[in-house]
Amino acid sequence: MAPLETFVVESTIPEEAEHYKHIISDAITDLVLARAIEQIKVVIIPEETLFYMVIVLRGGMSPVKVSDFAQVGEGTFGESEVVIDIDNEAYLPQLLENLWEMCGRINVHQPERKTVSVSCENPLEHISEIEEMVIEDPQRTLQSRLVDMAIRATPEGFRVRYHSLTGNHFIFVATEDIMKNEWIEEAHKTLDELTGGEPSGSSS
Amino acid sequence: MAAVLEPYIYEGGIHKHGLLLELLEDLGGFLVQKIPAATEVTLIMLIPNKDIHLMEELAIKLLGKVKKSPLTGTEIAVVSPTLAYHHLPHSACDIAEFLRRGGANTNMIGLARGMGRRVALSGDYERKLINEHDIALFSFGTFSDCIINKKPKLFEGIDIPIVVTGAPDIKTEDIPNADMYIGGIGRVSHRLRKGPELDGLDNMNAKVSEMVDSVREEISKDPLAVLPARVMKEIKDQIPEIEHVLTPAPITIQLDGLRVKLPYDEFHGKVENIEFDEGPLLSEVAKVMPSKMKNYILIKIQRKSEVGFVI
Repeated sequence: MAPLETFVVESTIPEEAEHYKHIISDAITDLVLARAIEQIKVVIIPEETLFYMVIVLRGGMSPVKVSDFAQVGEGTFGESEVVIDIDNEAYLPQLLENLWEMCGRINVHQPERKTVSVSCENPLEHISEIEEMVIEDPQRTLQSRLVDMAIRATPEGFRVRYHSLTGNHFIFVATEDIMKNEWIEEAHKTLDELTGGEPSGSSS
Repeated sequence: MAAVLEPYIYEGGIHKHGLLLELLEDLGGFLVQKIPAATEVTLIMLIPNKDIHLMEELAIKLLGKVKKSPLTGTEIAVVSPTLAYHHLPHSACDIAEFLRRGGANTNMIGLARGMGRRVALSGDYERKLINEHDIALFSFGTFSDCIINKKPKLFEGIDIPIVVTGAPDIKTEDIPNADMYIGGIGRVSHRLRKGPELDGLDNMNAKVSEMVDSVREEISKDPLAVLPARVMKEIKDQIPEIEHVLTPAPITIQLDGLRVKLPYDEFHGKVENIEFDEGPLLSEVAKVMPSKMKNYILIKIQRKSEVGFVI
């Protein structure tokens, strides 16, 4: 599936909308969101000081657990420790942070580049606990990047904001005047047009 | 009658560039700014127009280049609605950099509350600070409705020529109180390096140069009592402390004055008492006042009609 199936920016004057599209695509590129977004529609009406953005995200990004990128086992020579052999180093910093918090910094060692050992009383009990530990939740980091992108893409003075994130659907409405209900309704209607009235998918 | 001075930039290696400076002094020209960068050096100069070929010949020998820089001797305020990432570093910084390549000294000014449409406003201090410059360049965004109907209230109280940049193609006459509008440079979130964007910036430099020329022409009708470059030379000769100022341009030349980056309280007496060979003191031909920028000194030179003579 190609990233960004729909990317529409509408404004009173089409050339200005085209220009604004570049600003939004820069924000999407900077925050590495192109693969996460399936559809996006932005409407800006400067005369009414209205900006709204409707995004449909791709679903199916499950949290990354230790067992997804490492083998967890008992230490050799009968030592009371758990040894973690890592396949993907990208998650190593976060793994170490989590282990430091769980077992204390003094009990966590890294004898080799791709091996981490944790000293503990009953290693066998801890193996399953470590295997199930969530290291990264893409859905959560995605949400914070999405909010960042929305704020970057909005004209700066538009500080009165409404946002809603249900499942994979994100709605962001901004203005500098009092927020009108019909704008929010309009944004929701645009979302229905994009999705064809489908429900929002899994809730997060 | 003094020789007519023309602004030029030399770009070349630092090796033997002292020869150029010696020649410039012999010819009666002025060095406005020297910017060394590792093994390269950029010299911004005012050269007597009859002797430019001498400088060009020497520059060729030193394997450097001398080119005209019409914005030399101007201090331009690049004003952006705020300092948030919506406006900076692109495109306002790119605009400022391009103006500096043309020889201008630029100051970036981010207003405290310049964003938005209905809520945009500028403060008294900000207006006074902008008015100390030769030209104010306002860097605006994408929407013609904002530029035409809402943003011009930021121009209230600005007495210097106002240049506006933005993305849409609109006429200068449509923007109330603006003296020039330059299109094709709107809000962007990336560095301006594509062909059309660079063309837009080149066009901007050309248009701002036109505006500077028209201001110079207006000044020439009632000339300044002394050239700002001459005052700069006298300050360098008579106030040795200026050598210890670490800012890139310790003395910034403007079209009708100078900004001296020394503390006002301590040095305004010395600056006022600068003596010219012809007799008068600086305080007789110029107003020396505290600048709104830090505690610097601002000098505004008076016209011939006010003092009755030209040095």
